[in-house]
Amino acid sequence: MNIKISALQFTREVKSGNISAEDFIAKTMEQIQNVDDSLHAFLSINDKAVDQAREIDKKIKLGEKIGQCFGMPISIKDNICIKDTKTTCASKMLENFIAPYDATVITKLKQQDAIFVGKVNLDEFAMGLSTEFSAYGPSKNPWNTDYVPGGSSGGSAVSVSAFECVASLGSDTGGSVRNPASFCSTVGYKPTYGLISRYGLISYANSIEQIGPLTRTVEDAAFMLNLIAGLDPNDNTTVDNNNEDYLKDINSGIEGKKIGIIKEMIGEGIDPSVLSATKDAISKLEGLGATCEEVSLDMVKYSVAAYYTITATEAGSNLARYDNLRYGYDFSVEGYEFNSYIEKARKKLGPEVTRRMILGGFVPSAGHTGKYFLKALKVKSKLTRQINDAFKKFDLLISPTVPILPFKIGEKINDPVSLFLIDINTVTANLTGKPAISIPYVISNGLPIGIQLIANSMNDKLLLQAAYALEKTVQLPEVPI
Amino acid sequence: MVSREEIEHVAKLMRIEIDDPTIYERVDKMIGYFDILDSAGVESEEISVREISLTNLREDKYIPFDEKLIEKLNSYKGTYVRAPKMV
Amino acid sequence: MTKIGLEIHSQLTKLESKLFCSCKANYREFEPNTNICPICIGLPGSLPRLNQKAVEKATMIAMALNCSTPEKIAFFRKNYFYPDLPKNFQITQLNIYGDTSVGGIGTLMVGEKKIRITRIQLEEDPGRLIYEGSSEKNLVTLVDYNRAGTPLVEIVTEPDFENPREVREFLNILSDLLENLGVSDPSLEGAMRADANVSIEGGNKVEIKNIGSFHDLEKAVHFEITRQQSLHSRNIPIIQETRHWDDKRKITVSSRSKEEDLDYRYFLEGDIPWIKIGNEIKEKLKSEMPESISSKKQRYISKYDIPVQVADVLSSNKFYSDLFEDAHTKENAKEVANIITTDLMGLIDTREKRESSKLKPFHLKEISDSIQSGRITRTSAKNALYEIVKTGKTLSDIISELDLGNVSDEYELLKIIELVILEEPQAVKQAKSNPQTINYLVGKVMQKTKGKADPKLTLDLLKKKIQ
Repeated sequence: MNIKISALQFTREVKSGNISAEDFIAKTMEQIQNVDDSLHAFLSINDKAVDQAREIDKKIKLGEKIGQCFGMPISIKDNICIKDTKTTCASKMLENFIAPYDATVITKLKQQDAIFVGKVNLDEFAMGLSTEFSAYGPSKNPWNTDYVPGGSSGGSAVSVSAFECVASLGSDTGGSVRNPASFCSTVGYKPTYGLISRYGLISYANSIEQIGPLTRTVEDAAFMLNLIAGLDPNDNTTVDNNNEDYLKDINSGIEGKKIGIIKEMIGEGIDPSVLSATKDAISKLEGLGATCEEVSLDMVKYSVAAYYTITATEAGSNLARYDNLRYGYDFSVEGYEFNSYIEKARKKLGPEVTRRMILGGFVPSAGHTGKYFLKALKVKSKLTRQINDAFKKFDLLISPTVPILPFKIGEKINDPVSLFLIDINTVTANLTGKPAISIPYVISNGLPIGIQLIANSMNDKLLLQAAYALEKTVQLPEVPI
Repeated sequence: MVSREEIEHVAKLMRIEIDDPTIYERVDKMIGYFDILDSAGVESEEISVREISLTNLREDKYIPFDEKLIEKLNSYKGTYVRAPKMV
Repeated sequence: MTKIGLEIHSQLTKLESKLFCSCKANYREFEPNTNICPICIGLPGSLPRLNQKAVEKATMIAMALNCSTPEKIAFFRKNYFYPDLPKNFQITQLNIYGDTSVGGIGTLMVGEKKIRITRIQLEEDPGRLIYEGSSEKNLVTLVDYNRAGTPLVEIVTEPDFENPREVREFLNILSDLLENLGVSDPSLEGAMRADANVSIEGGNKVEIKNIGSFHDLEKAVHFEITRQQSLHSRNIPIIQETRHWDDKRKITVSSRSKEEDLDYRYFLEGDIPWIKIGNEIKEKLKSEMPESISSKKQRYISKYDIPVQVADVLSSNKFYSDLFEDAHTKENAKEVANIITTDLMGLIDTREKRESSKLKPFHLKEISDSIQSGRITRTSAKNALYEIVKTGKTLSDIISELDLGNVSDEYELLKIIELVILEEPQAVKQAKSNPQTINYLVGKVMQKTKGKADPKLTLDLLKKKIQ
């Protein structure tokens, strides 16, 4: 059986009776057994997956009502809650945390008969872009296991890329879906802020992050969005999408569309192979009838500093609840005073999270908020104004997803500022709430390069149509595993 | 330049115990990078926010959680959550 | 001059659910930690779901206190570690980005004195800590999160009070106002709490926290003024600090916690967008607000000719004024007001008694009608009221069961009058020369009939008999 098929192909095959969900899931679990020792995408496996698939086959056979996923194997980033399942955030702090409820996206996917094959790796609490900060060890890039898979949703990208599932849900705070998608040659899509409920996503920087799908194809991303988007009473920040069908008319093409090339995202520090891939993509889009032209968003220069200031502040607050009193790991309060107990308990937080906690205590503190945090919020506002202005002229914006190629594990872990700058092309969409997608574009010297498209808020459908058009122009080799 | 004392003070506020000696330099580097914000020229910028209407909020209705949550938490004799003593 | 300011916390006890989740707002009836859910316990991944009615009720409070109400309100996080705070931050309101709390500057009159309100904010109550153990050393802190997330309104005043008496009067008026608005039941344990700040001429401001009741608040303020005056008279500087009220020793004690060191890192709560409260909504809320106490009082005086004192007492208490509204007609209003304020209030003077009382508005209507028609006397009415509160039976049943009906039968009454005349020859003689003293004989007749004699008929018959 071929497990190297897209999500939509899978559903068609099961629906038509060509394959059974059970066989496919069994084969997928076997693939995980075979490859995950070396790739380390998974933090936990669902050992009931095959049984669940059998139930779905039974339902199909009996002609019962069946959800749109038909038992599709999906992996879930381990910062999204699945009821009665460990949700660790790749942190030792939550190594024993079992979620007593389902995230809204999980509830929706369960209703559609998806099967969760397991929870996948990330940088601890999603703080990082390589999975090297996972407390359970890094995931490896399937294209070359000496290299990082990107992050923080590295486990999601690896599991999709290495056929350990057909689709995955990650979360994107500053590029955490798009970056690993680009590094592992999958589609990675961050929708408009508020389009997908964050209820059950463990917050890192809640004002800018979104859950997003990582898939083999753009169509699959649209399919996933159809299943999980929309207003959720459990999340006051969600927006009504009027049950938009994102798959419908996905092949509309981009003829006549105006695309802005963000000048600040193809400048200093860009890898030549990334630059040439971007130029190539632009000419392809022009070939499809779009017009492309450079546009400047000068706030992009400050976007990474603003991004880290805002995320550290929110993280410092969001992670304060991890005091080990109500849940956590075994560590008795006996003999401790309140404050010293919490300090001791929080030593389970890893080094990067610890650093971010200190940043998060510093930049919004009474004496520093004017210089750092408030300024960062203002940069965010101005950047939003600038990008809104750009969308008065352009339908879409384009840039490489990441300015560099995947790097070797350990290569950059000790250089915080150079790590910061890898986010330069992705954080803008988060700070401004715009939808953005990374499309696998080319393999350069055995390493993937992705192209990013950004659209205006709630123009997710247009974004997916353009991404689909670009995707159709490329032919990529199979991952060498 | 952020001093050692200042980092230690903030760490204390955040209930973080520092045992990694490289943290001072690394945090200082990160905060040093944020100084770039000074040249963004955004002083007069208004902070933008998202809005919703009052009528989009939750209806005031009592719906008990469907499980005995305390049994899934670290509990003391199955009823309370225990905290270290307050001094 | 002494300056006292207050920070009052009032739970919105009349709401069904908590501020950010669907757990019960009235946590009092629950076993420890059984009124909790992933949201109010701050489980990873949970998000606050703001209660619409909480915002509406808080806005009504702001309106009732003549506060400005902004076009948009915002929520902020106040970050600090404490075991009763499940997220280790409290979602509250603040006015750092313009006026975005439910209420801005306002006023409340205490008699002739104007007390300025600084702001009103909506926030979540923390859980409760219970200390167990015999000594400081083996003290165990237990946490009950049932209260965590209960909607709380904080009302901050300017330091406009000059003495503890003004503070007490203000709190009485405020608690009547909140009850009248139907947002809170201040008599519930812990539903209304207050902190105070006190400064005297030439001294720094001192905050007093941890005050259990309004009664103690008055004491604490009084103690603090005396303490500061004593320091001042000895030329000892009064330092700016936070002091805790020691309930056992009835004194304020400098708090050991380094509050000055705290840095709350206030910032906007990203999980709750700003809430638009446009004029249309405000008008609607205004129209839904119950009649104010002062307008009720005016109405009672002008429409029913109820005496000022009675109208004052009746209007300021929601329970009794509601009862009045349901029981009165244009004809019996004065009588009903009278029964409530002179008899009923003494009869059910505690919350427990009010709750167990079986009295319904129709009872009051029956009683006042029966008094007016002369079916029963006021004294009998009072006895009947006692029975009604206890049993809830109808007035007619009680009259027949307890034989409370007026003795208005001339023949029967005459027999009793004759008996009294026989027994009281001195008084009869006196009454003949001085008609004023006949009331003594009426009283005697009343005694013999256990207060059931129709007073007017008795007087007429007595006069006839003596002449």
